[in-house]
Amino acid sequence: MRLSVAAAISHGRVYRRFGLSPRSRLDLLRNLVTALVRHERIETPWARADEMRGYAERLIDYAKRGDKDERAMRMADFWLTEKDLIHKLFKVLAPRFQPHPGSYTRMLQIPNRDGLDRAKMAVIELKGNPLPPLVRPRRDSDKTLLNQLLKGYRQDAQRAA
Amino acid sequence: RVSSDGKPPKFQPPPKPVIIDRKTQKEERRFLSPEFIPPRGRTDPLKYYMERKDMIQRRKVINIPEFYVGSVLAVTTADPCASDKSKRFVGICIQRGGKGLGATFVLRNVIEEQGVEICYELYSPRIQAIEVLKLEKRLDENLMYLRDALPEYSTFDVNMRPVPRMAHEEIPVNKLQVRMKPKPWSKRWERPKYNIKGIKFELPEHKMKAAQKWSQPWLEFDMLREYDTSKIEAKIRKELSEELEK
Repeated sequence: MRLSVAAAISHGRVYRRFGLSPRSRLDLLRNLVTALVRHERIETPWARADEMRGYAERLIDYAKRGDKDERAMRMADFWLTEKDLIHKLFKVLAPRFQPHPGSYTRMLQIPNRDGLDRAKMAVIELKGNPLPPLVRPRRDSDKTLLNQLLKGYRQDAQRAA
Repeated sequence: RVSSDGKPPKFQPPPKPVIIDRKTQKEERRFLSPEFIPPRGRTDPLKYYMERKDMIQRRKVINIPEFYVGSVLAVTTADPCASDKSKRFVGICIQRGGKGLGATFVLRNVIEEQGVEICYELYSPRIQAIEVLKLEKRLDENLMYLRDALPEYSTFDVNMRPVPRMAHEEIPVNKLQVRMKPKPWSKRWERPKYNIKGIKFELPEHKMKAAQKWSQPWLEFDMLREYDTSKIEAKIRKELSEELEK
């Protein structure tokens, strides 16, 4: 009777397993969420960042309800281990993300970790943070053929008008 | 009244009466049967849409009333072996399960000192009529613990008359605390995972404390497990009201 194969199948499971137990998994993710709220950009293994993303965005949705809401305050109290960050969450992050309906975080993969494990790493950041941007948007140079042709067309249209 | 310039005082019309329309206020709180709400998952919403269309078709033929877990129902089903070709069963609804067309409800009654539970499918064509004899809610969503409770809590008179209910009243919540038979039970109902409020536990203190060892207090803070159904419910309500008016 092969019992081990059935134990390895996880059809339809959405939550990854971290740490020693479900409690430990939540503690791990809680530390990461606290670090994200404090530093607004962190580098972690890709799987942890992916798992943490959902919790961070839901925490900001709760914070948007306002700090008078009892449930929002309890959630923030549980998820942020450093209590000065609760003030930052409700007073800085919630107004910043008030106009946006959805995604508040950006996750990008970075080269594997330098240590022995060569883990797949990711950087996760809150949008609108004051740090320099991760990705510089590259404008097309003016000297490409297509851009020169378009420039000439625009000049002809101006001369004709 | 002292008139200004000798003419009769200007006619002041009486203040307009403020009409509080109770009907529109109650419309928002109308009951949406739980089997219409699709579960969380990766299935195509088309499947649930098609099921909903069939459910509405069936509801146009037969009236499926609003009921909750803890209300007493009488169900008449078609049966080829019975003399009248139909059978009637009265019982308390202990569980409502399933979504879509396979939605079921389990009725329990104690007949001649034998506990009987029958699981009916709401949309089965064999069901001829569903009648609510007593509409009420209980403290829990699942009354499976009645199997381990004293039989008096599950007996209902088969010829019970329907309890009259005023229209547009709040549904009464029966805060009954049920007394149990001695242990062993079919499930350990004192454990926090079942979260039962409707049992009067007469167990010793140390047993209740030992049961709390299995509590998982972090589950309440696990945000990704929450399923917010408000928007889906609003869409489905609109769909239902449009279809049923046709």
